[in-house]
Amino acid sequence: MIPRLLKRLVLGLVTVACVYTVTFLMVVSIPGNPLQQGERKLPEEVENALRARYDMDNNWRYFGQLVQGALRFDFGPAFTYSDWTCNQILRGALPVSVTLGLLAMLIAVGVGVPVGVWSAVRRNGLFDFATLSFVLVGVSLPTFVTGSVLLTLFAVEWRLAPVGGWGTFAHLPLPAITLALPFMAQITRLTRMSMIDVMNADFVRAALAKGLAPRTVVWNHALRVAFLPVLSYLGPATAQALTGSFVVEKVFGVPGLGQHFVNAALNRDAGLILATVLVFSSMLVALNVVVDVLYGWLDPRISGAV
Amino acid sequence: MIARISLACVVLFALVLATFSMGAREQRADFTYVNPSDIHTLDPARMSWIQDFRVALNIWEGLTRWDARTLEPVAGAAEFPPGISEDHRTYTFAIRPDARWSNGEPVTAADFVRGWRRAIEPGTAADYAFLLTGNIEGAHDYVHWRYQAVARLKQVGAEAEFDAHAAALDERFARVGLRALDDRTLEVRLHAPCPYFLDLTAMPAFLPIHSSIEALRTRHRSAPLDRNGLVAYDPQWTKPDYHREGYPGLITNGAYRLVDWTFKRRARLEANPHHSVAASLNCRTIDMVCFDNLNAALMAYESKHVDFLPDLGVSYDHELARLSLSGSRPDFHLCPVMATYFLNFNCSSLELGGVANPMIDRRVRKALTLATDRVRIVENVRGRCDRVAYSFVPAGALKDYQPPKGLTWNPSEARQLLAEAGFPEGAGLPPIEILYTQNDRHVIQAIARMWETELGVRTNLHCKESKTFGEDKSEHRYMVARGKWYADYNDATTFLDCLITGNGNNDSGYTNVAYDALLHRAARTADRQARAALLAEAEAVIVEQDCPILPILHFTEPVAIQPYVSGLYPNGRLWFSFRDVNVQR
Repeated sequence: MIPRLLKRLVLGLVTVACVYTVTFLMVVSIPGNPLQQGERKLPEEVENALRARYDMDNNWRYFGQLVQGALRFDFGPAFTYSDWTCNQILRGALPVSVTLGLLAMLIAVGVGVPVGVWSAVRRNGLFDFATLSFVLVGVSLPTFVTGSVLLTLFAVEWRLAPVGGWGTFAHLPLPAITLALPFMAQITRLTRMSMIDVMNADFVRAALAKGLAPRTVVWNHALRVAFLPVLSYLGPATAQALTGSFVVEKVFGVPGLGQHFVNAALNRDAGLILATVLVFSSMLVALNVVVDVLYGWLDPRISGAV
Repeated sequence: MIARISLACVVLFALVLATFSMGAREQRADFTYVNPSDIHTLDPARMSWIQDFRVALNIWEGLTRWDARTLEPVAGAAEFPPGISEDHRTYTFAIRPDARWSNGEPVTAADFVRGWRRAIEPGTAADYAFLLTGNIEGAHDYVHWRYQAVARLKQVGAEAEFDAHAAALDERFARVGLRALDDRTLEVRLHAPCPYFLDLTAMPAFLPIHSSIEALRTRHRSAPLDRNGLVAYDPQWTKPDYHREGYPGLITNGAYRLVDWTFKRRARLEANPHHSVAASLNCRTIDMVCFDNLNAALMAYESKHVDFLPDLGVSYDHELARLSLSGSRPDFHLCPVMATYFLNFNCSSLELGGVANPMIDRRVRKALTLATDRVRIVENVRGRCDRVAYSFVPAGALKDYQPPKGLTWNPSEARQLLAEAGFPEGAGLPPIEILYTQNDRHVIQAIARMWETELGVRTNLHCKESKTFGEDKSEHRYMVARGKWYADYNDATTFLDCLITGNGNNDSGYTNVAYDALLHRAARTADRQARAALLAEAEAVIVEQDCPILPILHFTEPVAIQPYVSGLYPNGRLWFSFRDVNVQR
């Protein structure tokens, strides 16, 4: 397994390098002056001085500088917020997004899996119907709607939570629930579908016939196999949650990484774009490897997956 | 398996919560206000956003500062008024003996020389360097010499040339009309009289810089330049907790000092104990908090977590204006801003995409101007109490200046002019390509409809994302493009200079020798009334005759101030001093 794992990691690095390079090519190709902020046109001398300072006169030299820096985990200066480096911005924002994302995924899995299992076991009943309705709403409603509603009700009307921001326990629940809802809906749906399939399998019928308690069959045997599709979804979903949701961060004023993805692109802030893309792609690759390892742990029949 | 997974989840959950238990809960500041997007930079030489000005001008103090109510220049770190020579070209400032940095050291004239010199240095890349180079004698020549040398060093790269250039820096700078005669006396010599110079000296580009910054200067071969020949400092110098190379952290000389700055969360100001007004400050601590989402900021204001909202650009701001005007929300204030929203006509390109550009003809521009009913746009389309603009300079904004009347809505004259230009009822006129951004869509659609209805012209609307819009506008890839201009200082030239031939902000590419000559004459006229008359005559050329721009409205911006807060005075520059703020919750 170790050699296969190493091979996956090396391929993962190659993937990240390709993503980084393609992103750089896109950044230097799109229209818009990264050094100009606002409507006021930058004087030509000022722009030349800035390009000289950041070595932006030649794209390939600039790319070489960025790559050398990235290898040392030094992502260079940010253009839009010139008093801060990309490293400082990431250092401040990434832990926030990771915390919020982890909590959201805990909620999503902690609620989604049991509800999906129960819904599959009680198929076509009232609970199942309610679950399917919840799934439909959860998948369909955009987070800026659910977030705004929760904020208005809990923070403004009932004063049970602060209106946005970050730093205390009280700031956690609303954005975490908002972020968790769409993931929860998907996990519920996948778990339900997968459980329905697995509950019809021979080994489940055999286990029941042997006299094992239904609860034991469902939770210890069937779920173990039914969880595999959910696990496949969890890898990229966790990466997406951990690197921040622009919408949730904007609605709740959470100083996470998601806003930097979008704002850096809008501002043509090359250093910050590449830094955030590198973080996201690395996380995505790493989590996919983790998922593959967990596959083998969950189902020894596919231990050769990695 | 479930037990193991559940245990792992519980452990993770506990770790997440533990993260929050480790942070100490801080006391709420005396006064809290919102900055939508955090400070772009606290480097006073490089800042250009009003949100940055708000912080900088409360933690620093220039030779003069703006009065909180009237925005007139008053005494800052220097005695007021300064000595002014008879030719109005030499200003002698006496630094106040009680002017102190936040570490207790006295503010000296050399600190101002350091700050102003740094602002004009090429490496600083200061947006507002032109305010210094355009006024101070010899500054433009010095900067030109520096830029030439930097360009040459880049090509040649010779070490000997680098060393020679570095050795000549101080000698060349000595030719600039800026010198510290002693610790407390600063002499500034201008190349021409500048009636608004004391307004400029309150601006961030003219702030002093403490000598501790020199510890963070980049040096190459022992010279105070980087390897490109540029003056450069570690950009972290604006942080209060940055201590590389023995740097003590940011030192400022204003009524407040910066004690904490967490990116995208909060900046905390505390009273500067060494400032002359320290004892009289009601608010000892001020928090600037960041809310990217102005709707959430407004909710925080409604919940009284925030005391002041200086930026209220929400999509329903017309409703806020209505509430303010009706009196049902006296805490919402409408500020008539010194800013103009207008359309640029491309006056320079003969062709666009193979099609002849009709905007070259001033009769077409004037016809489109006369066919635009600005009253309807302000009242029906915007509905947020903006003022109708018939001039570039907002009427009534400057006490010594009355702009020309401009052109009012007159569709019949518009049709006549269009016919004279060879396009009767729009026949033969190519579709008018209008460039704008998402926020302008309602106004632009209304204007396009007016032109189609009144003149029979066809329009093509190009809504673009802001950076792409900016590039297209700079490259003159448009026939008509939306424009916005906010006043930098209290003088009509802050607007009118934009349309001088070759000015970097002359987006329309307009050129008129007579217009340039009028502004040039005004720049050399000491008499205020005569100068104002020249400027009004110049403005009449652009808003009544040539029409390179179509002024539409002057902005009115709502701000929200909690009823228990006093000492904040809504004004046309959206700048607020915090030294008079009193919060009685």
